[in-house]
Amino acid sequence: MLKGKKSLKVALATVTATVLAGGLLTGCAPANAGGTITYLTNAESWTHADPQRNYTGMHIAWFGSYLQRTLTAYDRAEGAAGSAVVPDLATDTGRSSNGNKTWEFTLRDGVTFEDGSPITCEDIKYGVSRTFATDIITDGPTYAIGMLDIPSAEDGSSTYKGPYSTDAANDTASFDKAITCSEDSKTITFNLKRAVGDFNYTVTYLSFSPVPKAKDDGDQYDMHPVSTGPYKIKSYKVNDSMVLVRNDKWNGSSDPLRANRAFPDKVVVKFGQAEEVRDQIILADKDKTAVSLDAILPTNLSAVFDDEGNVLEKYKGRALNVYDPYVRYAAVNVKKLNCLPVRQAIYYAKNFDSLITLAGGQAFNGDAADGVIKPLMGLDYAKTGYATDDKDWKPEGNIEKAKALMEQAKTECPALYARATDPKQGIFYDIPDTETNKKASAIWIESMEAIGVTMKFNYIEPGKYYSVVLDATKQGDLSSGGWAPDWANASTVIPELFTAEGGFPMSQNWEDPAYAEFKKRSDANLTEPDRKKQGAEWAALNKYAMDQMWVIPGVFSKTQEMWGSKIGGAYFWEPQGALSFGDLNIIK
Amino acid sequence: MNGLVAYISRRIGITLLILLAVSFTVYLIFALLPYDPASLTCGKNCNDPGIIEANRKRLGYDKPFFEQYWVFLVGLFAGRTFGEGAATIYCAAPSFGYSFQQHACVTDLIFDAIPVTIALAVGSLILWLVVGVGLGIIAAKYRGKIWDTLSTAFVLIGTSLPTFLTGLILIVFLVIKVDWSPFPAGGYTAPDEDIGGWFLSMVLPWVTLAFAYSAIYTRFVRSQILEISTEDFIRTARAKGLSDGVILGKHTLRAAMAPIVTMAGLDFAGLLGGAILTEAVFNLPGMGRLSLNAVVDIDLPVIVGTTILAAAIVVIMNMILDIVYAFIDPRVRV
Repeated sequence: MLKGKKSLKVALATVTATVLAGGLLTGCAPANAGGTITYLTNAESWTHADPQRNYTGMHIAWFGSYLQRTLTAYDRAEGAAGSAVVPDLATDTGRSSNGNKTWEFTLRDGVTFEDGSPITCEDIKYGVSRTFATDIITDGPTYAIGMLDIPSAEDGSSTYKGPYSTDAANDTASFDKAITCSEDSKTITFNLKRAVGDFNYTVTYLSFSPVPKAKDDGDQYDMHPVSTGPYKIKSYKVNDSMVLVRNDKWNGSSDPLRANRAFPDKVVVKFGQAEEVRDQIILADKDKTAVSLDAILPTNLSAVFDDEGNVLEKYKGRALNVYDPYVRYAAVNVKKLNCLPVRQAIYYAKNFDSLITLAGGQAFNGDAADGVIKPLMGLDYAKTGYATDDKDWKPEGNIEKAKALMEQAKTECPALYARATDPKQGIFYDIPDTETNKKASAIWIESMEAIGVTMKFNYIEPGKYYSVVLDATKQGDLSSGGWAPDWANASTVIPELFTAEGGFPMSQNWEDPAYAEFKKRSDANLTEPDRKKQGAEWAALNKYAMDQMWVIPGVFSKTQEMWGSKIGGAYFWEPQGALSFGDLNIIK
Repeated sequence: MNGLVAYISRRIGITLLILLAVSFTVYLIFALLPYDPASLTCGKNCNDPGIIEANRKRLGYDKPFFEQYWVFLVGLFAGRTFGEGAATIYCAAPSFGYSFQQHACVTDLIFDAIPVTIALAVGSLILWLVVGVGLGIIAAKYRGKIWDTLSTAFVLIGTSLPTFLTGLILIVFLVIKVDWSPFPAGGYTAPDEDIGGWFLSMVLPWVTLAFAYSAIYTRFVRSQILEISTEDFIRTARAKGLSDGVILGKHTLRAAMAPIVTMAGLDFAGLLGGAILTEAVFNLPGMGRLSLNAVVDIDLPVIVGTTILAAAIVVIMNMILDIVYAFIDPRVRV
């Protein structure tokens, strides 16, 4: 499991050391300051630049490094140290009371927007209010809606509809009670409807960043968000480019996280780069200060890495092959596959070897997963004893073991056994309709035939995939899935995947006899104040879910990134699963 | 002269009617597509029917088809307003609607993209006319000789190499592999920012696009000239003792001009709709990329806008060509 992280550390130890020594010890302008860093991407624009609409780790890492500040943020450090939460706009990492149902943060002195006006509690409150306008501020995380103490309407939606609604019934009063500001507008208090022990992790989301009400124009704010960080947007044109320049109103003394680390004078993002051209520019080191925002094309991997996935000598120090934040698996519909031996038989019969070879090989696609929590999660991960740690598990599939389990199923759950082994019925697997997946389905069918199970595939148009499988009336027995934690706490994994209230409830496991106990422990752990204890319990619940085989584990997946030879400070920022954008600098 | 005025007014009138028909057809086609425009605007994880209905109302898709089309037409002349409160969006006339995926009025997106496409089209038009017509004349003049063979080879390569490959080859071998290359590896520089940078950023795209077109024009011009050379009036000119140069310049080329102008006009109009592959390889933010991305993202307002515009350019270019003909050839005025 540590292979990827180890090679990453070897590759990057030297540059990181230089940066930290050069940047932090001098105490004033960082040594490697100046120049222009150019990001290349095939995307035509940012998915979103509006802080309340940013969701994925890569986007949060980028915007959070350059443009947006939040109450708290992840420390900018390599390895597990990066997952520590530190104060950002706030003076500390928050004070909870009322059994973790009330959280209070105090703003630092001297924090401003790019026009020099001070950031107040009202600005953060306004920013959070935008999350509630789910019809306009789309795609962002909705933790504020789920956590703030605001009543729900009959249809389950919040009675507060955000700042744009002109409806007289809009429940602004409840929102005003849920977030309150002190008289000097320096202290913000969040009143939650349930205890949230790690709410100071929740507020690392850019959806909790300030927005000046006067500058907000709804959907169009996505094109010109106001900066609070060390840079500001000079221009942003979809299909073309974004240019950041230094924010002269930003004051390093009010921003210890970014002080002395605002390296380049200018940051340029070039959108719409043809993929092959993008890779060639970096492979040939044409632009020595360029960084690719996208993963390397599979056809170019062998130019950069050896067969084991290690960076070749020529590209040492400017390429990474690391674990991304995702765990990929086959979600099990426990309501339908309501028999543990059948689920276990599928797990043992699966031909992991062939599936991973199809997907680019272990070196680039990833390792066999032993659950839904990745080793990257640090505190929350412990080996579950499955996959490579399971003596009965074989990479090419253990047909004997699987057959024995099916024999057991024959007596334990004859109905499901009959359906699974009947060629006219069989079990159904939902999968996005792609060329690779079609090949994967053939591998699955062959493995299942070997144990007498008929497997049928439901190919779903990729763009509609999740809207189909998340609909319980349409979901099959198994569905291909992938999940990344929303922040470095498995509270965004275990309950999300395996409880009825979760955001990704494909397991349908709430009628399973093992559910009640699981749910009780999961709920209790959400409010556990001791982070170490909480982590150990998530790890235990991960094993619990695996013991029940509520998912068929897949891979801890990997990603490959590359940059030019004059770029320093690059490391994989674990909590966001992205490059350390804010620490990138130009080597003199 | 009255005949000419009447002819021109008639052509303009017909063109306006065609444009109306085009806009209606395009709008109808997109209304019939199996996509719900309201649910395309509420994000990727939108499962809430309430949000979809709110979008439908805000964007005016809750109204009957003909009313929607009427509002769309009025918007073209008077501008349109979407939404309410602080989130109000106003798109000034001529408004093709608002793209929720690009967070901008469609007209603004088109106005941003069209100068890039015009620059690409005009530059490559000049280049391919010079090269294509020149090579065509040479090939015809030295028919069967080495020059003719060489130009045939050029035609074969030019017509068989797809532009994305030509572009990629140029980028890799003239930019990436060459340290002193003055050209950027794609991207667009606005001429008002840096005119030199603009020119350098356009050279390779011009060459790429002109390469394909000039091959076609070489073949076309060659065959036109050879065909006209066998006509009676050329034989008469030759019998009168005129020199080869005079015959070619004054008689053959003039006669060959009309079909070349027609072809160039229509090709140019087509390019104004966007040169998708060239724009994609060289990362030029023109009409081709705008339409392609709109199709990939199912960004309906942008698809409607760019489709109507591209069709309108072809229709208008046809009108202009017809009017130019009227000047060249009096017979068409009748």
